[in-house]
Amino acid sequence: MTASSDIAVAMRGITKRFPGVLALDDVTLEVHRGELHAICGENGAGKSTLMKILSGVYMPDEGQLEVAGHTVQFSGTRDAEQAGIAIIHQELALVEDLSVAANIMLGREPRTAIGLLDLAGCERLAADLLAGLESSIDPRGRTGSLRVGDQQLVEIAKALSLDASVIVMDEPTSALTEAESARLERTISRLREQGRTILYISHKMEEVFRLADRITVLRDGRHVCSVDRCDTTPTEVTGWMVGREIADHQFHEHRSPGPCLLEVERLCLPAAELGRADRLTEISFRVHAGEILGIAGLMGAGRTEVLETIFGVAGDDWTGQIRLEDRPVRFRHPREACQAGLALVTEDRKRLGLFANLDVAGNISLCSLAEATVGRLLSRRQEEQLVAGPISQTGVKTPSPHAAITGLSGGNQQKCIIGRWLLTQPRVLLLDDPTRGIDVGAKAELYALIDRLCREGLAVILTSSELPELLTLADRVIVLAEGRLTAEFSRAEATEQKIMAAATASRLAGVRT
Amino acid sequence: MPGTMISRTLRWLRQSEWSLLLAIFAAVVITAVIDSNHSYYGRPLESLRDIARNTALLGIFALGAAVVIIAGGIDLSSGSMIALSGTVCATTMLALAPTEMMSFKPVGPLVVTIACSASLLTGFLVGTLHTWLITVVRLPPFIATLATLVGLRSFARAVCESGTAAMTPTKSALINVADPLFKAVRDNVSIPVTVFLLLAAATWLLLSRTVLGRHLQALGGNEQAARLAGIRTDNVKWFAYCFGAMTAALAGLFYVANESVAAPVNQGRGHELNAIAAAVVGGCSLSGGVGTVPGTVLGAVFLRVVIDAVSKIIKTGADVYEGLIVGIVVVLAVTFAQAGGGPRHDRRLLPGALGLCTIPILALLAGSLTAMTSGGWAGVGTGMTAGLLLICLRIWEHRSRRAE
Repeated sequence: MTASSDIAVAMRGITKRFPGVLALDDVTLEVHRGELHAICGENGAGKSTLMKILSGVYMPDEGQLEVAGHTVQFSGTRDAEQAGIAIIHQELALVEDLSVAANIMLGREPRTAIGLLDLAGCERLAADLLAGLESSIDPRGRTGSLRVGDQQLVEIAKALSLDASVIVMDEPTSALTEAESARLERTISRLREQGRTILYISHKMEEVFRLADRITVLRDGRHVCSVDRCDTTPTEVTGWMVGREIADHQFHEHRSPGPCLLEVERLCLPAAELGRADRLTEISFRVHAGEILGIAGLMGAGRTEVLETIFGVAGDDWTGQIRLEDRPVRFRHPREACQAGLALVTEDRKRLGLFANLDVAGNISLCSLAEATVGRLLSRRQEEQLVAGPISQTGVKTPSPHAAITGLSGGNQQKCIIGRWLLTQPRVLLLDDPTRGIDVGAKAELYALIDRLCREGLAVILTSSELPELLTLADRVIVLAEGRLTAEFSRAEATEQKIMAAATASRLAGVRT
Repeated sequence: MPGTMISRTLRWLRQSEWSLLLAIFAAVVITAVIDSNHSYYGRPLESLRDIARNTALLGIFALGAAVVIIAGGIDLSSGSMIALSGTVCATTMLALAPTEMMSFKPVGPLVVTIACSASLLTGFLVGTLHTWLITVVRLPPFIATLATLVGLRSFARAVCESGTAAMTPTKSALINVADPLFKAVRDNVSIPVTVFLLLAAATWLLLSRTVLGRHLQALGGNEQAARLAGIRTDNVKWFAYCFGAMTAALAGLFYVANESVAAPVNQGRGHELNAIAAAVVGGCSLSGGVGTVPGTVLGAVFLRVVIDAVSKIIKTGADVYEGLIVGIVVVLAVTFAQAGGGPRHDRRLLPGALGLCTIPILALLAGSLTAMTSGGWAGVGTGMTAGLLLICLRIWEHRSRRAE
């Protein structure tokens, strides 16, 4: 038993609910002073939510926080900063149009004797901090023009400027190159020499085992275990991360895939900005009619980019070949893909799929409005008849076709969007993480629906951030890591551990083929 | 429960256009009572004709502004488009029939038709230019149409001056239009009103009953999702901005008829904001995707009725107050549309230091307005009363918050 004065941060019984989702369920975590404590878990395990509670971004619904032995309550990031906790967010939170120095000192700008902004002092402080991070970033430069790795360093400098005793790093290496990661590791060891406590979120096992003193594993919003690094192995931790019961149903049995419908060969997609790694490198796969191909990969691995490139969203600068029923195709606009018989259910429902200003019928009929017209005018009755099909086919629960779409649950909204695409009678259905943010019951219904569509002869490509989902539905699984294809498994070969290992393979290990 | 009755009535009023109709009715009744000349009793037809003409002129391009706003954009240039359209029309007539134009004689229906077509074509070209600036050059709509707002008026003046310099003995900043066809439009108010109503009906049909209309709403509601759903969003935008510019061009023709002159220096100056105000008062949301034609029509009527009411009540120099009235109407209408529209019943109007500073501002505004229209002592009284009321509101808000 460690003395309580040795505990830098304690979170006890933390529960956090979001609409429809229990993000954290009674999580308890103790972090000792001066240690590097890694927090591991799959996407959606609750790591980021827990850290956002620690740094005052969210308030917990239940449970309490203790910092250095005192119970605290944060009602904003400012409170957390005053208690000595700084967070480096996964999504960078910098003001791109301000200078580096201005970002580092934002909200705590030094003033001169007469109350003016002390620009020189600001820049001097920023330069000192950056020098301490062995970086040569110009503090006067515009933050938006920096590379992502350098922006991350600016975030770190900002956290250091707070002189925080506890620093939270939320997947700091997800956007960094090897060299930048090495530099970050040197920074981390320097911070540890100064006696700072670090909470480090990652699902890259090598990194975790190289850096951490202790490891906590979260899964599905619950605390699985906290162990000393020397008492465990990467395989064991990966097992804890994914080791939930596999969903009851196995859908992929007794499917009989037909001819090859879509074939992708050596697909490359260059980076959107100069100086970044390619988004996709030499990806090849094929999908047959009546088959579900799963694409696994961590956030940022390139799953969405693959689907968007096929669907003509990602622009025209990709190379390689895409063949639909043996004919090479190159879609420059989603409209062309749609007409050729493709359909894309996008990843972020609210931002990329839903029209909050249209009703349920309007959302479903949008891609097939020509069929709802009499003469050249839309007919309300014709539209109701048109959408009645997909509403019953996908099992949307709505009081009326003219109800507001925003009043429906996430699962029903997603069914509406799938229904929208079914009306276009596609042959290839691209589903980008279709069950994200949907509760368990609705997920099971969506699985059954996707399985039924596949058996009706659709070729389905399914990406998911949840491995059990892919294992439940897919006939084959390909794994992406950092824009490369690192493995392909048939359903019989695939296990969560194997997929996780391929998805976390670093770039050097990934160049196997 | 009277409380739920009130909130249900409020919700019903907000959701429908009835609240606007009610407000229009109230404004007319109040003016009829207050106006010391009793012009609404004495000369009802004349008053109606004034309001109808002004409403039609505003409404025609307010419909265009509404379509652009529903499509998720904004068109700030319609006032300048009005000036350019009038100038193009007059210059074309001058070029085709110089002697008739200079001696104020009829130029013939053919020339008028060509000139009007040239104006509408100019509208199409300007709309296309906007779309190019927005979709290809990737300027924000606000910036693109801000540039044409200042640019087109200047261009219209240049066209007018060089046109008159080349074709008449003297360079001029305006071109008189005396053709009987234009005079007929000026004297017969039913023509602009009919055009306005037909255009409104067509726009209503477009927005509520056509595929393009649905695509406009989808574009305004969620542009990225619309593109991903296979809608050619650039083409839909092209339509929206051309519709906006061409309705302004059409309005420009009526401006010329109404004033018998094409005067690019002042014609339609600032009127783009009235059009946007009419659309917003009528329920269009500047974030796009939301808005109706009946709302926009009623918004235009309401705006004109209120402006007319003020001119009846104040009598001389009422045009000075027009902008102020439009501003107040927009603030009140949008505040009303937002009020209680959600679970936030704890909204306070005068919180913290900002609220404290707002009290003297509002009191000063009310006081100085009254002072200028009804004399100094009345102004002091009104200002102090308004200040006291606001202080009471502030104290009440503060107390009720503490009680929680």
